[in-house]
Amino acid sequence: MAKRGKATVALVTSDFWPQGDFIASASGMPDLPRQQVPHPVAGSGNEAMSSLAREIAPKLVATLRGQDGGAA
Amino acid sequence: MTITAPTSNLIEAADDEAALEWLHAQGCTDGLPVVIPTQARVERMILASGLDGSLSLGSMGPGNGATTISAIATNAVMAGCEPDYMPVVVAIIQAILKPEFDLTEMQGTTHSTAPLAIINGPIRSACSIESGFGALGPGFRANASIGRAVRLVMMNVGMARPGESDMALLGHPGKFSYCLAEAEEASPWEPHHTSLGYFAEQSAVTVVGAEAPHNVVFVADADDPDSPERLLRSLAAVLANLGSNNSHFGGGAQVVVLNPDHADVLHDAGMSRRDVQERLVELATNSHEAVAQLNPTFAGKPGSTRQALRSADDVIVIVAGGVGLYSVVMPSWAAGGHMNSIVHNEIITDLSCEIPFAQT
Repeated sequence: MAKRGKATVALVTSDFWPQGDFIASASGMPDLPRQQVPHPVAGSGNEAMSSLAREIAPKLVATLRGQDGGAA
Repeated sequence: MTITAPTSNLIEAADDEAALEWLHAQGCTDGLPVVIPTQARVERMILASGLDGSLSLGSMGPGNGATTISAIATNAVMAGCEPDYMPVVVAIIQAILKPEFDLTEMQGTTHSTAPLAIINGPIRSACSIESGFGALGPGFRANASIGRAVRLVMMNVGMARPGESDMALLGHPGKFSYCLAEAEEASPWEPHHTSLGYFAEQSAVTVVGAEAPHNVVFVADADDPDSPERLLRSLAAVLANLGSNNSHFGGGAQVVVLNPDHADVLHDAGMSRRDVQERLVELATNSHEAVAQLNPTFAGKPGSTRQALRSADDVIVIVAGGVGLYSVVMPSWAAGGHMNSIVHNEIITDLSCEIPFAQT
């Protein structure tokens, strides 16, 4: 999506962050905007998921707008 | 640890032991000792391919390395291949590089999946690729080293490294090597590759991402007219096991390896290979309620039936192994853009030439 010019930010959990580094670099996009989230997200429950969404939503919007401070 | 490709094609080492330790340290091995890929050994392997060493079959993900014949030959040497195996290794690599195989995604998945290579045709005897007792176990150089060469290419060209770019949570032993031939002579049916459009006298490889073999026990009873159907139900129970991705995602190619005795039970009941495939599609299902009890997210609509196989083309049925009570099923990842597609490729042997005996 990023290569097609779409505003993009990838959510990556902490345990998969090194894989994200590798994939982004191997894909020729080492600066691809990414937002780190705690691991695990899946199965963490609605309350934890909502809390995380509230926390990172402004960062994602900022990143998508090309503003500083979005990516971890 | 960061992943970096060697910056030079040739590395100097004091001796074989030092070279081996360097390869281990670079993460270029599967953890077992490898044959040191000296220039002379690699050149012999390239010669056996009948192709130019600089020819690239494409880039291999996730690292996007160039899959050159030279790189394949280097890894084939390391794996312990004989030069005669090189056309088989090249054909497998060509197959898994097809876009519908989704190799990049497969290399990175957390699921335990590995490319299973099934060999058909005359190359089986030419290379002594085993199809009988213990074909997926230790003891057979061709099976072990061909599959190992593919894995080493995936690691050293595709740069799949455990925990960093190969995220399989546990993996499975087939990630060292996963290669066997079909026991065509013991099979009551036509060779598997002819059902894909090849002539019997052609050699071909079929590749599918697969979990480790799951055993299926079945005792045939010639006095029981329901015996063939019971065998099919036994196979279907494992194809649709409620812990598998196939049952939850509703599809993905799977493999059934019938031992010759079990194949005869079905053949003697008048069933063709296609009949078996179609019946397994009908039988390998679960109810919505059964799936919902375990993983409601994947259960679908109440009252619906969840198919573990989408179509007869999604279940490979081959004959291999020794005779007896056991056949196996290999469930699968059932994901990727093409949902765990089956790929196949002809093995071209007439490009190669006779390899002179080498002293090194």
